[in-house]
Amino acid sequence: MLALCALVALGGACKKKGPSPNENVGEQGIGEENLGGGSGSLDRARQGLAPGEGGPLQDVHFDYDSDDLDETARGVLDQNLQWLRDNPRVRAELEGHCDSRGTIEYNVALGARRAKAVKDYLTGQGLAGERLSTISYGKELPLCQEETEECWARNRRVHSVVGGQ
Amino acid sequence: MRGPSLLATMLIVALSALPVRAVVSVSIFGPGSQQFPIAIVPPKGDAALGQEFARVLSRDLELSGYFRVLDPRTFTEDPQTAGVTADAIDFAGWAAIGAQQLVKGTIESGAGTVTLEVRLFDVAERRDVADSGRRLQGSRADVPRMAHRYADQLLAVLTGERGPFDSKIALTSTRGGRLKDVYVYTFDMATPARLTNEHSITIAPAWRPDQRGVLFASYREHLPRLFEVDVASRAVVQFSNDSKTYLGGVWSPDGTQVLATREDDGNSDIELLDRWGNVTKRLTDHWAIDVSPAWAPDGQRFVFCSSRSGSPQIYTMAIGGSEPVRVSRIGTFNTSPAWSPKGDLIAWATRTGNTFQIVVAGADGSHPRTITGAGSNDDPSWAPDGRYLVFSSSRGGGRTLWLADRDGRTQKQLTPDGGDDTSPAWSSRSE
Repeated sequence: MLALCALVALGGACKKKGPSPNENVGEQGIGEENLGGGSGSLDRARQGLAPGEGGPLQDVHFDYDSDDLDETARGVLDQNLQWLRDNPRVRAELEGHCDSRGTIEYNVALGARRAKAVKDYLTGQGLAGERLSTISYGKELPLCQEETEECWARNRRVHSVVGGQ
Repeated sequence: MRGPSLLATMLIVALSALPVRAVVSVSIFGPGSQQFPIAIVPPKGDAALGQEFARVLSRDLELSGYFRVLDPRTFTEDPQTAGVTADAIDFAGWAAIGAQQLVKGTIESGAGTVTLEVRLFDVAERRDVADSGRRLQGSRADVPRMAHRYADQLLAVLTGERGPFDSKIALTSTRGGRLKDVYVYTFDMATPARLTNEHSITIAPAWRPDQRGVLFASYREHLPRLFEVDVASRAVVQFSNDSKTYLGGVWSPDGTQVLATREDDGNSDIELLDRWGNVTKRLTDHWAIDVSPAWAPDGQRFVFCSSRSGSPQIYTMAIGGSEPVRVSRIGTFNTSPAWSPKGDLIAWATRTGNTFQIVVAGADGSHPRTITGAGSNDDPSWAPDGRYLVFSSSRGGGRTLWLADRDGRTQKQLTPDGGDDTSPAWSSRSE
């Protein structure tokens, strides 16, 4: 019986639900969406907003397939560092992002390295590590979708989300 | 009884006859080269079910690259009245419209059971083809799977290798909204059907070998972890430990272990987990990126992507532990490997300029050949027959799923334009 249900379920007509921790409301049921709090890029996407860019802490940009911090990036991070010192109760989440080239899983791993590189730089300058957290979204939450050098460069970044004041 | 074995009650009986041998040999006939003109006549009886069977079978045979399916509008007979046995078929009439092969049969429905009898006829020989006759029984909802089963059998008869169409493809897609969920696609569907409702990002779907579950990574609780969705109930349970971050995982061919990509403090490595999600072994321990593990069919080795040489390349390694052996020798960016279920070939995506293309090589990296050229193509996954691959392609605009044979001679679009269909994972054959 459930086997038949599975086939029907593929067409969206089977409403039998299992003990999901995530109450799975189907298309024909009541739509319920977590519009969340928070201002991270995934929180924003859940609210239908574009990923965050800039803010009190500036975005840091990278070369293709690289997590190296160049001179420009270090200059930006020095300004971010000063802002964090001036606002000692603020915590920041460092989001790693990538351009659209390369596969999804690889880019999540690459974004994690970018976020870690930024965290290491800031803590290396004396910032307390517990004020910083990291997450990578790979190429899943791009600022722009065009397949151009300009857009790729914009998406290769670590974006800092402030909170926890 | 539960689970994905949708045809658990379907009966398949080989119909005996005094047929001719298959007229086609693989040597003169491959996907994308010489295509065989075939007429698929809706089986006589229940007209709606007969049409559905013919539609699904036609698409499968078209996708296989071995056939040119004749337009039913050119048929000169009424399928509901014309004969379905060799002595009653107007072979001269079928030859006149260019058919060299002909599928005919009957389909009867009653009391919830559908009974289908079909055969493949060779028009020139005026007889049915050896081992092409089948009686299939199941429910009305089983008719698409009966068509897939029969398509797979026709490929077995004509090429010596059973077809892959009675199977499923898991993928991630944004077809339902802004964010990616896990979807499933079968070859009779117009568009993929949604399995999860994560309100988050999901990545790297992978089948449990019994096809009852799809493992995937989700950002539902902020940092990505592994979850598994039950295909029948759509219930989602957490698979990996709370305190760890995972970018994806794949079940071993015997369903007892999982190879997973663990991310820890910015570094990614490959771990071996037991069936309950506990770490049993750390397989790689390197400062570079190690991602996208895929099992060899023997369950003793795996292939993965690592940037340990300074650029992302493809490596194989023993589950028991060994030095990784690099198998990709050309290209500066090679990623998302997949090991053929036959064991002999590995496919991956390689960067060429600003696009990625699918490469197929020997399991040791020998004789690599690029099998795609249009758009950007990545995340290849092998069909259960080791003859076809599915991958995500940007040709035609957004990301859609495409199918190619391992030589790249036939390339067919599977999912319609307008989606963002990524990370396809082809299941084993359904039971």
